[in-house]
Amino acid sequence: MKTGRMFRGFFVKTISFVGYTVQYGCIAHCAFEYIGEFVSCSGPSMEPTITNHDVVFSERVSRHLCRIQKGDIVIAKSPFDPKMNICKRVIGLEGDKVCTSGPSDVFKTHTYVPRGHVWLEGDNLRNSTDSRSYGPVPYALIRGRVCLKLWPPHNFGVLAESPNDGRIL
Amino acid sequence: MPTTVTVLVIGRLDVVWDAVFSATHSAELFDVMKSGFLKTGRMFRGCLVKTISFVGYTVQYGCIAHCAFEYIGEFVSCSGPSMEPTITNHDVVFSERVSRNLCRIQKGDIVIAKSPFDPKMNICKRVMGLEGDKVCTSGPSDIFKTHTYVPRGHVWLEGDNLRNSTDSRSYGPIPYALIRGRVCLKMWPPHSFGVLAESPNDGRIL
Repeated sequence: MKTGRMFRGFFVKTISFVGYTVQYGCIAHCAFEYIGEFVSCSGPSMEPTITNHDVVFSERVSRHLCRIQKGDIVIAKSPFDPKMNICKRVIGLEGDKVCTSGPSDVFKTHTYVPRGHVWLEGDNLRNSTDSRSYGPVPYALIRGRVCLKLWPPHNFGVLAESPNDGRIL
Repeated sequence: MPTTVTVLVIGRLDVVWDAVFSATHSAELFDVMKSGFLKTGRMFRGCLVKTISFVGYTVQYGCIAHCAFEYIGEFVSCSGPSMEPTITNHDVVFSERVSRNLCRIQKGDIVIAKSPFDPKMNICKRVMGLEGDKVCTSGPSDIFKTHTYVPRGHVWLEGDNLRNSTDSRSYGPIPYALIRGRVCLKMWPPHSFGVLAESPNDGRIL
């Protein structure tokens, strides 16, 4: 009887622990989904604005209200790997004309961004795989807008404007 | 002397009445007013606490419901003719999220995906090819058959009603990340409740 009671007490404690974990896990998940999340960036494609191992805060509100604008830095799901994310700057929205030729090309070529898509480019144009290689990305792949850099501490604050201003037409 | 005082008292009876009244009733009056304020304050505070806890419970259960729809499955009401005869207009289906999160979507599955042209709309089509597969891009009436390969991380979607469906044959392959869930059960109408049929266009799955 005593063992049974102990076992039942232990069982009830486990169930309530699991219940609380699920509850608070769901609330945390919804906070990350609707408010914002911390992202650790890697790679050279956004230098000098964001360097390797920087931690930024990416807010989700703009994306849900469809208020992403030209010049925003966004986190999006990679069109080539559903488990990876990419961090690039929005150079053109749907209907915009974007320049597809490089700065060293003699003949400038342009294209229009189709409906429901965005044109993404990294700030480090020489070392970035972006829409110039894989074309415009559907808006629905965007996860959030990067609004604050949190790490390293000497670079804390709002992010800089695009260093390649000539490309935003 | 007493006559003078009496006359003065009678002449200023109102002042006397106020003085006497306030001396004997002030404590009680003050108590009544104080208890009145406290009661209102307590009622207001109780109402505020009830409102806050109601909002708290709503947020809590809303989050749990959202996570259930996000990780387990959701009910979807389909509209449009592009998946006839498998799914007709106003059918309600259950679309599970587990396959998509574990990347186990296969050829022949019917999926709900976000539209590549409108981030607020969803589309319901069948997967005809996964990344690396060869898909037929020409129609059944074309003489010369053309093929293409599905790029990495993309899928090729086609509706079952080939004549009346805007799908990958017009807008190309879509990224896998746009897929929301896999349709596994038809819930409504009741006479067609159950698992969904295989593709009527079997020749197109290469």
